[in-house]
Amino acid sequence: MSEPNTMQSNLPSQKDAIAAALALYPTRPFAVSDIGSQSGWLKASGHDARNLYVSGPMGLATSIALGLAAVRPDDQVLAIAGDGALAMNLTSLATIVGAKPKNLSILLVDNRVYEFTASVPTPTREMDWLAVGRAFFGADQCMRLSDLTPERWAGVARPAMIVADIAAALAKPPALGMTPAMIRMEFLGAAKRS
Amino acid sequence: MAGQAAGGDRLFRSIQAAKPKLVTGVPDGMLAQTIMACAASPDFPYIACAREEECIGVACGAAMAGERAIVMVQNAGLLNSLGAFATMGLRYGLPFVIIVTNRGALADPNGYDIEKREAFDAGVRPMARVFDFDASDFPDDLIPAAFKWAEAARKPVIIALEKRLGSLADSGAAA
Repeated sequence: MSEPNTMQSNLPSQKDAIAAALALYPTRPFAVSDIGSQSGWLKASGHDARNLYVSGPMGLATSIALGLAAVRPDDQVLAIAGDGALAMNLTSLATIVGAKPKNLSILLVDNRVYEFTASVPTPTREMDWLAVGRAFFGADQCMRLSDLTPERWAGVARPAMIVADIAAALAKPPALGMTPAMIRMEFLGAAKRS
Repeated sequence: MAGQAAGGDRLFRSIQAAKPKLVTGVPDGMLAQTIMACAASPDFPYIACAREEECIGVACGAAMAGERAIVMVQNAGLLNSLGAFATMGLRYGLPFVIIVTNRGALADPNGYDIEKREAFDAGVRPMARVFDFDASDFPDDLIPAAFKWAEAARKPVIIALEKRLGSLADSGAAA
């Protein structure tokens, strides 16, 4: 069996990819991260009251982000999903295309394994996520993170998708250290202020 | 058909009275007229989801921002979504309203609906507050009242609508 950490050692970490995607925005967007790996690495990349750490089923972040984007149309929203997670809610991409939110984007971080298992490959490991994203959003609205600059990202219409190939982590992210009530109240405060 | 439109319009008016920031759903025959009215409403967006679990996520996103959201699904669709309902709606204490058409009632005996209803009783009722109403005879302030309850309880609430024997009005059911 291959060693993903070794095989992908030239790729950015999930933490760095998330930080790079957030840095594309002129002001901090709302960031909605899937359970486990994405939430842990989002927090590790820099805690912010506009971060929404989800504990729901894997893959639901894109749907939650769509609901948030609908009620906060003047704010940018970034959903952060892993390849294993998004595969569990792939239909949400069709829903997002139909809803046409002008403020929602998706960051797909692809390490080809279920990170919390350390090694179990995802069934999408052979899939071309860039092609999948472009099938839903079009070539102009789905691109690789490595091809983006803040200037280019500012000109991309939404909804949009960013694909980031990342290295599988050697260890799990630090624990969130926040209860659901804490997450909700802190996020609610940020949402009310926006 | 006139009765179907009237039943759907009545539920729509109750939804409208609750002043939601968004409505989301997956169609059921009993909800079709209401969904069409919501989709045409200028007062709030209607988000048509591909799967019912997505609806729970969409409503949770709105509720996390402190806004009112309504989900409309069939009982089988809610059964598909219980993980999201539990780990988001209940775990984060989010006060949104789920309108469920509870198919398979005594007056609604489609063979393919019977087990859905039995699974709803066995799977949903033990974990969530369900208020049951005749789909053709409910108070005009049903949905506003449901939000008041959910916001006081700090949790989602389920309004289950069903066809009942002896109802005078048409329930709005198309299938």
